Amino acid sequence: MKKFIALAAMALLSPFTVADETCMSPYMAKIVGQEDFVYVWTLGVEGIGDEQDKLVTVAVNPNRDNYGEVVSSLSVGGRNEAHHSGFTDDRRYLWASGLDTNKIFIFDVHSDPAKPSLHKTIDDFVAKSGGVVGPHTSYAMPGRMLITGLSNEADHGGRTGMVEYTNAGDYIKTYWMPRDGALNGAVKSGKYADGYGYDVRALPRRNIMMTSSFTGWNNYMMNLGAMMSSPEAMANFGNTVVVWDLHTKQPKKVLDVPGAPLEIRCAWGSQNNYCFTTTALTSEIWLIYEADNDWHAKKVADIGDASKIPLPVDISITADDSKLWVNTWNDGMTRLFDISDPNAPSLVSEYSIGEQVNMVSQSWDGQRLYYTSSLLANWDKTESTGKDLQYFKIYTYDGEVLEHQLTIDFLAEKLGYPHQMRFGAYSLYGQKAPQTPRKFAGLE
Amino acid sequence: MLMCIKAYGAAPHHMSAPAVPLAPGYGPLGYDLPPAGSYERPPLGLASDGPVIDSKGQSTSLHQLMDERITLLSFIYTSCSDVNGCPLASFVLNRVFKRIANDPRLVDKVQLLSLSFDRMNDTPAVLSNYATRFEAKNQPNWRFLTTPSEPALRKILSDYNQFIIEDTNEQGEKIGSISHLLRVYLIDSDRQIREIYSVSFLHPDILIQDILTIDQNPQQPIANASSDF
Repeated sequence: MKKFIALAAMALLSPFTVADETCMSPYMAKIVGQEDFVYVWTLGVEGIGDEQDKLVTVAVNPNRDNYGEVVSSLSVGGRNEAHHSGFTDDRRYLWASGLDTNKIFIFDVHSDPAKPSLHKTIDDFVAKSGGVVGPHTSYAMPGRMLITGLSNEADHGGRTGMVEYTNAGDYIKTYWMPRDGALNGAVKSGKYADGYGYDVRALPRRNIMMTSSFTGWNNYMMNLGAMMSSPEAMANFGNTVVVWDLHTKQPKKVLDVPGAPLEIRCAWGSQNNYCFTTTALTSEIWLIYEADNDWHAKKVADIGDASKIPLPVDISITADDSKLWVNTWNDGMTRLFDISDPNAPSLVSEYSIGEQVNMVSQSWDGQRLYYTSSLLANWDKTESTGKDLQYFKIYTYDGEVLEHQLTIDFLAEKLGYPHQMRFGAYSLYGQKAPQTPRKFAGLE
Repeated sequence: MLMCIKAYGAAPHHMSAPAVPLAPGYGPLGYDLPPAGSYERPPLGLASDGPVIDSKGQSTSLHQLMDERITLLSFIYTSCSDVNGCPLASFVLNRVFKRIANDPRLVDKVQLLSLSFDRMNDTPAVLSNYATRFEAKNQPNWRFLTTPSEPALRKILSDYNQFIIEDTNEQGEKIGSISHLLRVYLIDSDRQIREIYSVSFLHPDILIQDILTIDQNPQQPIANASSDF
């Protein structure tokens, strides 16, 4: 019993736990050594390759001959607005969803980690859930998956809920986001109770779960320029973080975090009872923290020049809770903040990654960082000022310098727009890497 | 998960060293629980059947043992040395066992099952000794089980999504330890799984509260949700 549980226990209890691996569910088995693969959930694009959404597998073990190569690409048939993905707690399956079609694709990543296969497709998400639209975060719970929604079937706005499934893909229950008129027992602590949703993270040691808030289908499927020029559309963004009772899934408190708080990353240290989020519209870092036996939110730092709309997107916390990588999509920058004092993050360094940058995933030891470019099909830039436009990039970080190692141009390779990354490894499943590394045999 | 083994493999006993923080189940719960029955434990699917052998060597099956009682089913192996692994599960079940024995609301309704996935080493005799360590030898409300064959074990583990890896050394030889995610299942009297616990929520207070909750709230069939709008 020692290893799996050791991981879970360490993740929950040790103040020294190393941590995208740093951003995963604490219930999940972690890769603490060298990852073998990065699975890239990729948007299909008209005129690019087979034009379908696909799971692209990149070999990333520098000790193997296929380092930096695409070793498999599994198309799922059509375009779904491929967006986020997440493993089950046993890490045998990867759930990847489409924000537009509401399909959830469940990939088997354990039978052959170099060549995932499509195990099951959930295509009744909206009907089963009672009208939740836009499956976003797939978050591992013990034996279950919790899927956050972005929107709803009634008006395609931002009011939404979370949907729970068994690991086998059977629907369990829908949890509606608390909102004015339907707080469901939650306390509204400020001006807002919008009922919007986006990300979810858990702090089991405090029996707490947190959700953030973005915008509905009407906006995320709209052309970016058209949306930003529409005051009505811009008024429909989330302004809340909700604190939940993790065990009962009951909402406890609605906190004001104005400006569309997106990714949530919680500290790992056993005494560090706080999480960070960043606001897309106001370009701020916010701290959600426990004090006086209650939960609160406050702005703790600015990210770049908010007047230039840098648009913070993905963030990644280091395993020792000392640093936070913050990507800003619009200027293509990644910034490293020192968060040793979570109340006063300070900028350490900043790097240009490409024309646009969205996701960042770091290894357990923080020495390898992976970046992808795409945000949403109708928001992504289509013309470059000379920088890479749609890419997967590998960097190393030695504690001082972020150094570029490799780029895969997803347009040149006719793959599409690369979005979220998740790590894979043979050793997760008691397997050894084959003597002859897998080579790409074309689209499958 | 074997990546985990690589990282910690050089010092597996390090995980059992005193410096390792103990799981919440060993101490007082650090937060208040809502009243029993004030929340839901929606059904997560049917608990599967399978042939088993108890610590007296008697053959039976999981469904026969469940017998319309609320059941806590734990997967363990007796030689596990990780303090926050199988020993945690058995420690917590021991605490639950004692509390149930003294609770007239539950004593006739609840039972515990600890099923070994190390059938080669965990014979009925070994399981009987293990039960003694947890004050549960020959107790009808806490049974220690093994399986009659490897295929029978594999099917039960697969049905409960309890996947294991027998650890090996560089030469590929088994070293005796088994990697798996700790899981304890709460099963209602209709054999529906109502909760799955891992390290963070495997605490006697939580288990008792959930048992009381599902006793008060028989399961409702899973149906499509109704719209909130």
